[in-house]
Amino acid sequence: MKYTLHIKDALFSVVTLVASFALNLLLQSWFHTQSLIPMIFVLGVFLISWRTQGYFWGVAASLISVLAVNYAFTFPYYAFDLISPECVSSAVVMLIVSTSTGTLTTQIKHQEKIKAEIERERMRANLLRAVSHDLRTPLTSIYGSCSTVIENYHSLSERQKLELLNDVRADAQWLIRMVENLLSVTRIDDTRVQLTKTPTVLEELIDAVLVKFRKHFPDQEILVDIPSDFVSIPMDAMLIEQVLINLLENAVIHARGMTKLQLTVTCQDGLANFSITDDGCGIPADRMQKLFSGYLDHRDIPTDGSRNNMGIGLSVCSTIVKAHGGEIRAENLKPQGAAFYFSLEMERTYEQQ
Amino acid sequence: MNSNRYKILVVEDEANICSFVKTILEANDYQVLVASTCQQGLMMFSSHVPDLIILDLGLPDRDGLELIKAVRATNAVPILVLSARTMENDKVTALDLGANDYVTKPFGTAELVARVRAALRTRRTADSFSAAPGGKFYLEDMVIDYDRRIVTVAGAEVKLTQTEYNILALLSEHTGKVLTYSSIISTIWGRIDEGSTKKLQVNMANIRKKLGSKPGDNRYIINELGVGYRIQDPPTAPGDDS
Repeated sequence: MKYTLHIKDALFSVVTLVASFALNLLLQSWFHTQSLIPMIFVLGVFLISWRTQGYFWGVAASLISVLAVNYAFTFPYYAFDLISPECVSSAVVMLIVSTSTGTLTTQIKHQEKIKAEIERERMRANLLRAVSHDLRTPLTSIYGSCSTVIENYHSLSERQKLELLNDVRADAQWLIRMVENLLSVTRIDDTRVQLTKTPTVLEELIDAVLVKFRKHFPDQEILVDIPSDFVSIPMDAMLIEQVLINLLENAVIHARGMTKLQLTVTCQDGLANFSITDDGCGIPADRMQKLFSGYLDHRDIPTDGSRNNMGIGLSVCSTIVKAHGGEIRAENLKPQGAAFYFSLEMERTYEQQ
Repeated sequence: MNSNRYKILVVEDEANICSFVKTILEANDYQVLVASTCQQGLMMFSSHVPDLIILDLGLPDRDGLELIKAVRATNAVPILVLSARTMENDKVTALDLGANDYVTKPFGTAELVARVRAALRTRRTADSFSAAPGGKFYLEDMVIDYDRRIVTVAGAEVKLTQTEYNILALLSEHTGKVLTYSSIISTIWGRIDEGSTKKLQVNMANIRKKLGSKPGDNRYIINELGVGYRIQDPPTAPGDDS
């Protein structure tokens, strides 16, 4: 890794120097002037210090440039004259250019790292805030309903008690789904931990998704269209299962007026392309932009009290697909409905038994 | 109350979970014993000889897997493991050590009771198998004739290869029990190598196709993603399990 980086840097430096030299020869023959020559070399040195790691290549390039100018482009031509004050001062200028560029780029790289760190922290804080807010509501209702039942056990009618307990169960189920999502994120948030991908049979994955989905939404029909061939995809099956369930649930909860929910997988050029489409109300334009990136801000949370974990569910999907080296996309369909797409790399070869 | 009720030993350290598991099992007319540590669980096992053990893997004193090992050394009592989602590997290890089934936390009460019933039934079917070798296996409209090595669905014969039949027969002999990939492979092919999971998956895909199963509608073989396969329990009515 380190070694190939060095080779890359060396190659880049050599190519840039040779290019500057050649350019200078060309310019000299065209314009018969030498005023451009030092500029070109300074530009070369600047590029090299900017694009390579550390100071070494920049400094080396500046020294070589000085020698080149001295040798080829100043009197006496094609001979060295290293003690002239002109040569020494140009060498000093070149060195200053290369070292200060080097310092600057190192600083910028450092700042970028800090920026990414801050961004991650911000995401985490946002998530925490959104989650605590979202958790408080069902917990309050669970606590309230249970207390009501316990404290008024004899005065409440059977039906009232059953109703309250049903609410408790629904809220608890919602909390479970939420926590599953959070667990999935923490599993990959830690950048040091690699995903453990195991070859997973597409048909079995879809089967598991459908069985699980049906437990939550027994009445929702899903049209399934997957290849009939044996398809094996390396993945963390638990996480991809979560992605598909989130997307299907998302459609059921948010696609108002939906009559058809479809899950399609096609295989092409070594990729398995997943798509979940519905014919509901589509995704509001103002949501589209931040659909996967941001957990919803507080002001985006609907005030009608409807529970909304779309922000978290979808950003979990995005995180999981990214960790698999893919990208998730959403678009509105014509005349109506929404579609979500993502792709996973299939296993390269397999022997049909 | 009937004194011949099944005795179930619940080994679980969290009092709240224990209490609701105990309540739901007692409501279904099982006799429930409770242990909160591995040590206590082993003691109660040898003094009460329960018909089923429900075991949480995360126990305070010792790993629950050790209890499975200790019990399996002498006894074939069905063991149902409660596992958290974060312990997928433990789940497979537990099954390979001899646990019959697992329920992932959080679980619904209906699901738990269904699994308990299935596990207790496994015990009976296992007994009847040894008593009457070469019987027939019935599951919905599928029949396996062990003597003639023939499988029929709705009366029509399903043409399976040797290997496919062996896999199906193996699963049917352990109804209700999840068989892990590695345990199926080592029984069918005798040894495990790099490509054997793929070999099993391909065979399984063919079996599903021949039995006419569709994703989301596997009436005969339930696939436990990343763990293994299991055959539905014959008397379980559809929908009972949800």
